[in-house]
Amino acid sequence: MALRVWASSTANALRISSASKARLSPAFSLSRCFSTVLDGLKYASSHEWVKHEGAVATIGITDHAQDHLGEVVFVELPEPGGKVSQGGSFGAVESVKATSDVNSPISGEVVEVNSKLTGSPGLINSSPYEEGWMIKVKPSSPSELESLLGPKEYTKFCEEEDAAH
Amino acid sequence: MLKKFKRMKVLRSLEVWKMGSINYLNALKLQEKLVSDRKTHKIPDTLLSLQHPPTYTLGKRRTDHNLLIPEPDLQKIGAELHYTQRGGDITFHGPHQAILYPIISLRDVGLGARNYVEKLELTMIELASLYGVRARAGQTGETGVWVGERKIGAIGVRISYGITSHGLAFNIDPDLNYFKHIVPCGIANKEVTSLRKETDSVLPAEEVIHEQLISCFARVLGYSNLIWKENGSILSDSVEN
Repeated sequence: MALRVWASSTANALRISSASKARLSPAFSLSRCFSTVLDGLKYASSHEWVKHEGAVATIGITDHAQDHLGEVVFVELPEPGGKVSQGGSFGAVESVKATSDVNSPISGEVVEVNSKLTGSPGLINSSPYEEGWMIKVKPSSPSELESLLGPKEYTKFCEEEDAAH
Repeated sequence: MLKKFKRMKVLRSLEVWKMGSINYLNALKLQEKLVSDRKTHKIPDTLLSLQHPPTYTLGKRRTDHNLLIPEPDLQKIGAELHYTQRGGDITFHGPHQAILYPIISLRDVGLGARNYVEKLELTMIELASLYGVRARAGQTGETGVWVGERKIGAIGVRISYGITSHGLAFNIDPDLNYFKHIVPCGIANKEVTSLRKETDSVLPAEEVIHEQLISCFARVLGYSNLIWKENGSILSDSVEN
């Protein structure tokens, strides 16, 4: 299983700028919902991801989320220096006439926002885990990361959500 | 090999509020409260059915360059202007336009934003077809419901914690002159139309059309149990699916 997971995340890492509908072949599939879920990230049930690297955590929305939203045409981000709290809204993405709030998986101070999203909101669709990152936060309670979902749990969560209807 | 289970039909309830004509800000405040209540499970999925007095509204992107008359002149034509947190561009609401604001949990109905908007489009398409009007969803970037190149229905939605607010507006027979003061939905060179203009059928009382719109919504979104709330009274109406 570990080898499959490693292989899958390597395959994903190489797929950085692929089209939004990244399809994993069944042999490498972490999920039946055909959305990419990356290893090494933590996930919230509201479909945001967080990558904790030392003093700073990067946050964005998942492949599953961007797929369900449709083409993103506008992104609203906070100012650096603002505070976010776990589960609280920090911005919004607009797609096909729907504006969806985006919630922070952790609490902390916003140290950087991805200004590229102003001119290229579609980066969220084409590269939700890389170019489409939204904010960088200095976590105020690193233990909050424990309460988030790991890749396997998040994958299962997506499957259950999609299968229920 | 996965065993296929026959899925049990879950009775999904929708509480419908028939509100008549209400001021835009009041409707906004009500929706905020209902979203909060829905999020904390105090209320079930709820649908507001209403109209507004003449009102122009802008979405989160604040595209006020699409308002073609100076703001002070709005009062002269008897209209208000409001900025909102919904998606979408500028639009007009007024008498004889049927509005639905669903306050529902997208997670519970298993929809993402895109699919939800598609279902709102389908709701209006089905209503139009009751009167022999062949409407269609817009092309990419032109969300809404169209008859040929003329727009008959608009959509603007807000999703917060997975709960929807704002919704759709369907033109039964509004005064289309109001649309001349804006670039509707930011789409230039396209006409706005209404059910009255597009059909030869005799239209029934508007109340009937509002109820048809509600039924279309319930059917498209899969609600089998409708609870009607009108002026405080609650009548239960179970619909066989």
